[in-house]
Amino acid sequence: MAVALGVVLRAGPPGLSAEPQNVRVTTDSAEYCGSLAQRVAALPGGTVEPARSLAADGLRLCDNGHVRTGVAKLRRALRAAQGLETPG
Amino acid sequence: MRILLVEDDVEVARFVRKGLQEAGHTVEHAPNGRDGLFLAASEQFDMMVLDRMLPGGVDGVRLVETLRTQGNKTPVLFLSALSAVDERVKGLKAGGDDYLVKPFAFAELLARVEALGRRPASDAPATKLRVADLELDLLSRTVTRAGKRIDVQPREFRLLEHLMRHAGQVVTRTMLLEKVWDYHFDPQTNVIDVHVSRLRQKLDRGFDRPLIHTVRNAGYLIRAEP
Amino acid sequence: MRHDRVGARALPREVPARHAEALATAPPLGLLRSAGARFALIFAGTFVTAAIAFTAVLWWGTAGALDRQTDAAVRADALALSERWRDGGVSAVVEGIEDRLAADIENHAIYMLQAPDGRRVAGNLNQWPVAADAPGAWAYTTVQREGQPAEARLHDIVLEGGFRLLIGRDIDEKTRLRQLLGEGVAWSFGAAITFAIIGAWLMRGMLASRLRPAFATAASIAGGDLSHRVPLTGRHDEFDLLAATMNTMLDRIDRLMSGVRGVSDAIAHDLRTPIARARAKLEDALATAPDEAALKLAVEQGIADLDAISRVFQALLRIAEAEAGARRRAFAPFDLAPVLADAADIYGAAAEARGQVLDTRIPERLEIVGDRDLLLQAVANLLDNAVKFAPPDGHVLLAATLRPDGGAEVVVEDDGPGLAPADRARAGERFFRADAARTTPGSGLGLSLVQAVAHLHGGSLALGDAKPGRESPGLRVTLGLGPA
Repeated sequence: MAVALGVVLRAGPPGLSAEPQNVRVTTDSAEYCGSLAQRVAALPGGTVEPARSLAADGLRLCDNGHVRTGVAKLRRALRAAQGLETPG
Repeated sequence: MRILLVEDDVEVARFVRKGLQEAGHTVEHAPNGRDGLFLAASEQFDMMVLDRMLPGGVDGVRLVETLRTQGNKTPVLFLSALSAVDERVKGLKAGGDDYLVKPFAFAELLARVEALGRRPASDAPATKLRVADLELDLLSRTVTRAGKRIDVQPREFRLLEHLMRHAGQVVTRTMLLEKVWDYHFDPQTNVIDVHVSRLRQKLDRGFDRPLIHTVRNAGYLIRAEP
Repeated sequence: MRHDRVGARALPREVPARHAEALATAPPLGLLRSAGARFALIFAGTFVTAAIAFTAVLWWGTAGALDRQTDAAVRADALALSERWRDGGVSAVVEGIEDRLAADIENHAIYMLQAPDGRRVAGNLNQWPVAADAPGAWAYTTVQREGQPAEARLHDIVLEGGFRLLIGRDIDEKTRLRQLLGEGVAWSFGAAITFAIIGAWLMRGMLASRLRPAFATAASIAGGDLSHRVPLTGRHDEFDLLAATMNTMLDRIDRLMSGVRGVSDAIAHDLRTPIARARAKLEDALATAPDEAALKLAVEQGIADLDAISRVFQALLRIAEAEAGARRRAFAPFDLAPVLADAADIYGAAAEARGQVLDTRIPERLEIVGDRDLLLQAVANLLDNAVKFAPPDGHVLLAATLRPDGGAEVVVEDDGPGLAPADRARAGERFFRADAARTTPGSGLGLSLVQAVAHLHGGSLALGDAKPGRESPGLRVTLGLGPA
């Protein structure tokens, strides 16, 4: 009984299927880093802290190959630039 | 009387049969319940004497129950080695009319058989019972002999009534105890004798002809001739 | 069979001995036939069912909540974007998608807007996933993120003008959380089952160990040794209650058994004497009777002797019946007063014939529950004794009172020689007759029956002096009847 339950629990969400061709998420890319950086720079708050250094960190991470972390940093920079995020 | 005796014990059956025949009755004997039931259902009897426990699947109680459901009203006397009161009640409930526990004296059996077999044909209540010059009025509850009134106590009245209803027949002490006092017990000593002799004294005082007679080894009997 | 232990006792023992075998081999019963195992199974089953219910609720509340959360977010997003489409067309939706992607700090948003010609207009998927290729479809599928597979929840909606919009969420982390939860639940479930098994086993063992003394006692009783009793633990629980009830029953059986033994001893001793006497008389008459009249007389005497013997039998049977309590079936409520009056009437004549006076002090009504015939027999025995032992000009008293507790008390007094205190204790024994009474007729069973009847009615028999201090103190017998 326990084994059966374990199998059910491990099976994950129902109806999960693998894609025959690679469906790729395009926002995990250096290009997207660039486009995010441009969005930050285009904003008036993009040149003040903490948005500026966050964007810089993000770009550097993207360049070093840590694309997802870099994208995340850049998104926070964008939010900071939009004045939605409190500094910190 | 024509009597059906259903009894599996050969010795008891022989003894009862002989005794009843000597008393002037015709006796048919069946050794088991099945034959007994067959005889009882196919022939006419005035009286049946049944052993309570019989071999062959049909015991006395079953036999009587079967006969009664068929509308057969022949009086039944049970003989039984089972003395417990509820056994007696069971036997009487099944349709038996009397119950006698083994071992028994033949006189007791005969007295009961005759009392059962010669019950008054009509149930119309008589208002007066008469034996010779003795008269018992059931309505005014008085006793007179040769026109002379005799004072009796209520219990003595019932005793006399029972004797007179069975005038000419032997009534045993146990029967008196059962019918007059309505108890089933062993009185240890013959207390009934005392009651009967007291009644006898009252009835016979001043008359030279006794009416209540003692039957040796059996009981009492009321009749005109000595 | 255990004939070595059964020995020479006089009761049928074959069947109980077989039961004893069965009892002795009782503990290793088949697992399913053992009540202990059944209780244990029920316990384990309940425990596991509770664990399953608990787990299900937990699962629905955690992993299920995660799934529902994702779906709710996607649905809300779909509504918002559809609205945007109606208000601003393609460009508004594209902008909305761009903004959403740019603000997606958790990095789990997936979007794709496709033109009617299959061209990708906006979003972050390189192509339309096959799993979500139906209008209005909800799907789970795997997408690639930096070359790693990740699970995603996708929703496909059709916009006016033939455009299709795919909204999704990367649920990889949620799936990992779900897996962790699943493992935790499975472990705790395993632990619950283990506890259930251990608990069931302990319970079965406990039940068996509590019942074993009762088994052992019953087995040795069935084997014929009536001295054993079930030991009590002193916890006053159900098992102790059962043990105590069993012991009470065994005491009763023991008493009955010794009663039976006593009767068989007494029968052997006291019935053989009259039988031997009757037999001797008949044999003597057969050998030496001078004529037929003498022979007839001897036969009549023999029949009278046999009748006396069968009356003793009848009395013994009545005592046995009363002692066994079987006659309680015949119990019914009735008025004892007229029964006592009848007894006084029956014996009054006998007393009168002996010049004695029988006085009565009986209340008008005396409602009790009991066996009418047996009580009359008991009172008759007492009156018979009293009339027998009172002197020719003596007095006998029959009195009765209703006790406040609902029981009744019947007193019979005479002014005869009475009974020595040493004899009183033995008066209830079967066939006991005081030396002074050897010459009067009687079986020695009268008071035994009275005592048995008293016990049957939940009462007692007490003997005492009627007139203490006199030369002939008389006897006062008190028959107490318990309340119904």
